[in-house]
Amino acid sequence: MTELLASIEASPFSTWLRESPSVWAYPTVLTLHTLGLGVLVGANWMVDLRVLGFARAIPLGVLARAFPIMWAGFWLNAATGALLFVADPTKATTTIFMWKLAIIAVGVALILLLKSKAYGRGVEMDRASAGVKAIAALSLAVWIAAIATGRWMAYVA
Amino acid sequence: MTKAIVVYLKSTAISHAMSMSPFLWPICEMLHFIGLALLIGGAGLMDLRLMGAFKSIPVSAVMQVRKWAALGVTINVVTGTLFFVGAPDQYINNPAWYGKLLFLLVAMINVAVFETTQGKKMLNVAAGENTPVSFKVAGAVSMGSWFLVLYFGRMLPFLGNAF
Repeated sequence: MTELLASIEASPFSTWLRESPSVWAYPTVLTLHTLGLGVLVGANWMVDLRVLGFARAIPLGVLARAFPIMWAGFWLNAATGALLFVADPTKATTTIFMWKLAIIAVGVALILLLKSKAYGRGVEMDRASAGVKAIAALSLAVWIAAIATGRWMAYVA
Repeated sequence: MTKAIVVYLKSTAISHAMSMSPFLWPICEMLHFIGLALLIGGAGLMDLRLMGAFKSIPVSAVMQVRKWAALGVTINVVTGTLFFVGAPDQYINNPAWYGKLLFLLVAMINVAVFETTQGKKMLNVAAGENTPVSFKVAGAVSMGSWFLVLYFGRMLPFLGNAF
């Protein structure tokens, strides 16, 4: 495992990503990762807050269109996250990275659950049930934890 | 001049706390990214509607998400100020920091001008209705300038010397 990570780290692409003075290497990947975070979590929170009963004037049904925006943010971050992994694979051995991945998996599961529970039957209800509200509240909190663990990674070797 | 500002800020208790505490800086960074997501979510939805997307939401309804964007901006101005006071020498000669401030100013002026000149018109754009050109311009300027604030923020360690 460590050998594999070491060989990734020694590869020319990894070295370029990590050490190139070009703005298109590490800085651009990190900027896109931050943008993807904002798009994914921002769109998710707008739906969560509406489901929880804020901004009631916005029809709940319309916000079904926020889900493709969330997935765009998610895939941007899966791709840029993979590049950040290649640039610095030893970070992947840290406990905090395992936590981050696990928390993101829960967050993604909650997005799928929210989509199927709130919009699944094609019924555009304007008030969410207590169960759907619980999913939204949990989702809100889980993405805060995902951001916290992601930031935390900046402070581990 | 800038040296005097740096020396003064570094002598304050807040600056000491920010640079000495092992937790304060990371916690502020977490809050800064939470604020970033709130801002992108709230301003992004509002800007998209102003530009003519999400037409089934009346503009008067989508206006309700502005307060979440404002909350995000507030969190980030407070935490951003703490970063600056905590380590002013990282920012004061950093070109990325000036880029960030410039586009923050553009975004703020854009929203202030739009709200004062077009604020009342927003209430009249019903569900299904397209927006006038002035709305589309304001939405595009907002989205573009907030992206550049993010971009220059992320570039702080790369164009300058901030961590």
